[in-house]
Amino acid sequence: MATEYVKYVDVTKCDGCRACMVACKNWNDLPAEPQDFLGTMQSHANVTADTWNVLTFVEHENSKGNLDYLFRHSSCFHCTDAACEKVCPENAISYTDKGMVVVDQDTCVGCGYCVQNCPFDVIQLKNYKDENGKEYRKAHKCTMCTDRLDEGLQPACVTTCHTGAMEFGEKDDIIRKAEKRVNEIKERYPNAMVYNPQGVGGTHTIYVLAEKPSVYGLPENPKVPTSAVLWKDYAQPIGKAMVGGVAMALAGAFVANKFFDKKNGGHEEDGGGNRE
Amino acid sequence: MGVETVSKTQNSQVQVKRFSKAFVVAHAINGIAFIGLYITALPMYTEFFDWLYPLLGGPEGARLAHRVLAVAFILPTFIFLIFDPKGFMNWMRELVTWKKRDLQFFSEFVKELFGFKSKHVKQTFFNAGEKINSILQIVCAILLIASGFTMWFPDLFPTALVQWGYFLHNVGFGLGFAVVLGHIYLSVIHKHSRPGFTGVITGKVPAEWAKSHYTEWYEEEVKKGNFPDLDDPKNKKNKGA
Amino acid sequence: MTNHWNDLQHTDVCMIIGANPAENHPISFRWLLKARERGGKIISVDPRFTRSSSQADIYSPLRSGTDIAFIGGMIHYAIENNLFHKEYVAKYTNASFIVKESFKFNDGLFSGFDEGTSSYDKTQWAFETDKEGNPLKDEKLENPRSVFQLMKKHYSRYDADTVSTVTGAPKEDYVKICELFCSTGQVGKAGTIMYAMGTTQHTVGTQNVRSYAMLQLLLGNIGLPGGGVNALRGESNVQGSTDFALLWGDLPGYLGAPKAIPEHATLKAFLEKETPKSGYWINKPKFYVSLLKAWYGPNATKNNEFAYQMLPKGNKNYSHISLFNAMYKGELEGAFLFGQNPVVGGPNAGKEKESLSNLKWMVAVDLWETETSSFWQKEAGSDPSKIATEVFLLPASASFEKEGSITNSSRWMQYRWKAIDSRGEAKADLEIIHVLATKIKALYKNENTPAAQPIKALHWEYGHGDHPDIDIVCKEINGYDYNTGKQVVGFGALMDDGSTCSGNWIYSGFYPEEGNNRSKARDSKNTDGGTNFLNWSYAWPANRRILYNRASADPSGKPWSSERAVISWDRAQKKWVGNDIPDFVPTKAPTDEGGINPFIMLGDGVGGMYAPTLNDGPFPEHYEPFESPIPNVFSSVEMNPTVKVWDGEFNKKGNNKDFPIVATTYRVSEHWQSGSMTRNQEWLSELVPHMYVEMSEELAKEKGIKNKDKIVVSSARGDVTAYAMVTKRFKPYKLKGGTIHHIGMPWHFGYKGYATGDTANRLTPHIGDANTMIPEYKAFLCNVRRAD
Repeated sequence: MATEYVKYVDVTKCDGCRACMVACKNWNDLPAEPQDFLGTMQSHANVTADTWNVLTFVEHENSKGNLDYLFRHSSCFHCTDAACEKVCPENAISYTDKGMVVVDQDTCVGCGYCVQNCPFDVIQLKNYKDENGKEYRKAHKCTMCTDRLDEGLQPACVTTCHTGAMEFGEKDDIIRKAEKRVNEIKERYPNAMVYNPQGVGGTHTIYVLAEKPSVYGLPENPKVPTSAVLWKDYAQPIGKAMVGGVAMALAGAFVANKFFDKKNGGHEEDGGGNRE
Repeated sequence: MGVETVSKTQNSQVQVKRFSKAFVVAHAINGIAFIGLYITALPMYTEFFDWLYPLLGGPEGARLAHRVLAVAFILPTFIFLIFDPKGFMNWMRELVTWKKRDLQFFSEFVKELFGFKSKHVKQTFFNAGEKINSILQIVCAILLIASGFTMWFPDLFPTALVQWGYFLHNVGFGLGFAVVLGHIYLSVIHKHSRPGFTGVITGKVPAEWAKSHYTEWYEEEVKKGNFPDLDDPKNKKNKGA
Repeated sequence: MTNHWNDLQHTDVCMIIGANPAENHPISFRWLLKARERGGKIISVDPRFTRSSSQADIYSPLRSGTDIAFIGGMIHYAIENNLFHKEYVAKYTNASFIVKESFKFNDGLFSGFDEGTSSYDKTQWAFETDKEGNPLKDEKLENPRSVFQLMKKHYSRYDADTVSTVTGAPKEDYVKICELFCSTGQVGKAGTIMYAMGTTQHTVGTQNVRSYAMLQLLLGNIGLPGGGVNALRGESNVQGSTDFALLWGDLPGYLGAPKAIPEHATLKAFLEKETPKSGYWINKPKFYVSLLKAWYGPNATKNNEFAYQMLPKGNKNYSHISLFNAMYKGELEGAFLFGQNPVVGGPNAGKEKESLSNLKWMVAVDLWETETSSFWQKEAGSDPSKIATEVFLLPASASFEKEGSITNSSRWMQYRWKAIDSRGEAKADLEIIHVLATKIKALYKNENTPAAQPIKALHWEYGHGDHPDIDIVCKEINGYDYNTGKQVVGFGALMDDGSTCSGNWIYSGFYPEEGNNRSKARDSKNTDGGTNFLNWSYAWPANRRILYNRASADPSGKPWSSERAVISWDRAQKKWVGNDIPDFVPTKAPTDEGGINPFIMLGDGVGGMYAPTLNDGPFPEHYEPFESPIPNVFSSVEMNPTVKVWDGEFNKKGNNKDFPIVATTYRVSEHWQSGSMTRNQEWLSELVPHMYVEMSEELAKEKGIKNKDKIVVSSARGDVTAYAMVTKRFKPYKLKGGTIHHIGMPWHFGYKGYATGDTANRLTPHIGDANTMIPEYKAFLCNVRRAD
């Protein structure tokens, strides 16, 4: 892999303007998805196949008893060990040379295995209708604007962020920056932390969180589901081997039978089976 | 089960009824559904079979077919249970009844499988191999149906359960495939079992074959007067012809 | 803004009050967060905890309509604790001036009040002067009749406890805020106040702003980087439109419009009456004549008072509410509405809609068919068969479809180039006006009635055909020598003899020569040592970035602190030098007469701690809003006594028994103004798709309302149905007299576009500020209940 790049999200610098959401829809040409009233300023409960980033709004009474209004730019984490990539039966999900996890829409069959296995509940299916009215589905999520990265640009959300809450850069630099930032804000946010979960091998969206992940509705220790590891690393290979093994055994049986048949002069062709 | 004396001319042509209509139908549906399920699943299991997609109407067609077949796959159990409850119960009873002869069966089975000389161990309606097959199939079916259910309706279940569903469905696939491959081989290709294949389609098997393969069952049916006694001279006139 | 957007990065303490810049002026947070990285602090004062509050170091709630109490208490705190910048106050403000004995203040009223006319005799508030008319001073600030001592006495009533029971700000938080913000009174520190419509849209709007200015003068925070009183303008070009006479009392460049009074009968009389004797405004005749010359060209001559008589003169109040009142009473025949949507954005919007139906004709110029241009339709709840108004909708071009400049809050005139062609028949505003003017002129060509005269006199030469040449317009705004046609270098070159013309003197200098339209300047490299970026666009006046920057230096011309240096007096060069254009005569030495007077636009050259010119008093005094939940704690005068009260059906008033809950309105990042631009944009509409009302958990519980319930909010004027957003960000207010609930709602919604909802302004009253007539949108009473 070439140099790894990551998106840096310092939620403590976010003022919740949601320009990142609009920039994303604009660049990626995604349709609007108006929702029912959710009871907060948040527009969508979660990211969807057509809304690749959602700003979450959390009203949180902190340990000092003060009200914090916490915002988080939420989109694909681009895990180093991506469960979606692991479980995709068609190898439609892959890593780019910069470490981003992308879906090849031509290969995707819309099975939704990735949807159920993403530890962050990010990737989602979109329903389409072809010209004959036939419905089909494809998995979608944030691509980290890979098409922009390829042209030397930054992701649309990062470019539009006016407070500097988001940056895009080399992984090591960003991790250092994030750690430094956490030290700076510890006084105001005692629970501040860098969120770069190792259970998925680290992510390519690295957060400075003001509070514990759970406050943001994030898993404290996300990982590739054990079931997915057992499935893809054990069950599937063993299954394939087993199928192959049985097939081989039966083929062997078939050949052996023919062989013995010849030796025995080929009687009992009808298989009557009474050989007392 | 009535007495079947279809042929007076050849002993080997004497047919006896082995399976009820319900079972035959159930088995057929089950078998076809099973094969269909595998065909529609294969391109998802390994990319080696991606060429199947166009034949199945794309991934969506495959998915739809898989779901239709999944329902078809579950139905036979109920057909069997409703239309032949006695046979069903017998089957169930057999599955839980294990005796020394069942174990002996296996050593002989392996010899037989590869065409070595073997002797028959006396078996009841189902031989030990079939019982193992049934048990494996049932286990696989439960595994596949349950996990398939979580996959089909992920919103109804906790994510963890759905995730394990994928694993179990996959395990079920491998296991089921191996078992079925054996089952089909033995019934369709392996010469000594072949009458069983015809039997599961017509419901009838050659009396002699039945007697030799399922001696205990056959003898019991003879005692009940359901089957002809093949040792009876009148039934032996063609023996050795 | 006295300062500008990127100057915010220099602040030590930023107090955001009456504004929610994180949501409505997001770009400011780019700079505020930079300030915070330098150790700067942010204070957020708002009725509810906003997205701006989320970034603040201290937040305090404030009952809508109680800013003067809040700031008055801070003035009190700064004086009591001796935290103010004494030399600055003594030298650069009128705190040292002696006020005449006739000025008095008693129980909420200043001296000179006439109950019959609801107005003051302002002469009673005048300064003591010497024989030459110069004000008497006591720079020790000890004279009991000095402005300082009067101010001290006035605000001694604003102690923290009283302030807390009026505003609802918890005392502990309030004192912390006083302490933090007043720490910027130290030399070398700078604090800024950011405000917007939460400040101005009150019956005491002008005095609210005044109170900020006084506090900032007291702390020596005006004229410095990171300081100032910074108005966050509500629209991208509202600064520009105000500069170009958006307000009814002004001609371009804040030149007053003449009235039909004897003192304004002739140009000479008008200029004599309206030109101050000192300060930069002594040049007013030059600007006035140059403006007349720009408008009337060859038809403006010395002999005809430069066509002064062509200007319309009226004595009425032509503010928004007044116009709609006239319309309501059937006194107006027709109206042009350029990008205006009063059926959503106007106060008491239900009545404004009714008023429109009294027009014979209405021309709406807009990007979309708005709630206003379709006011007569069934979906607006109207009966088209009963409305005789003839409505024309002229499609207008959007900002990206036309060329021209906008002036932002920083006073930066920034040129914008056309990006795409307009759709269909849409035209730029300039083109629409041009076509109108030429057609109207043609219609009156052969008429000799008095009405035809001004139209015929108008000199309209902006190119041929329907497409005006915008460059000619630019040149005219800048001004040129009428004889040579050569552009003038700046407003200093304008003359009062008809030899120059200028369409707006404060912009004069932006286009000093052919090929150098400085609003097109885009040099992002800062060559000036500060962060003023003098070669990026053009800031009026004279490209000055920090107004009153003479005050950043001490009387001797040395910066108060080197870290906050802007300009300083260079003895060798005999001129002011620094990283900004001096807001001062560049060669006037500190030792010259007036050399220490930084506020050159004011007659006295010093900041007005005391303002004897305003309608409602020289000191801001707390009055309750038009509709208030509690009696005024400070005096027996409930409401600003000088506001005009419209009565009857046009402006029903609610009492605090039927409507015990305080309500305010506001905007969100995702929608803009009446929503006609954003609610027609799907990506913005999905972000805030529904009309909602924010309320505390406590109020919700009291009313049996659950989050997401449909509720009805009612005021004396009408009711709206919306979703309840129950939030921790609103808390009940503990005031004198008990607990009061406060709610808030966005005013963006109407029935057109993708995101629709009830219009909040159906609830707001028809009442305005005593000086500006800006409507009191921000504080009114209501009640809430579940919709089912």
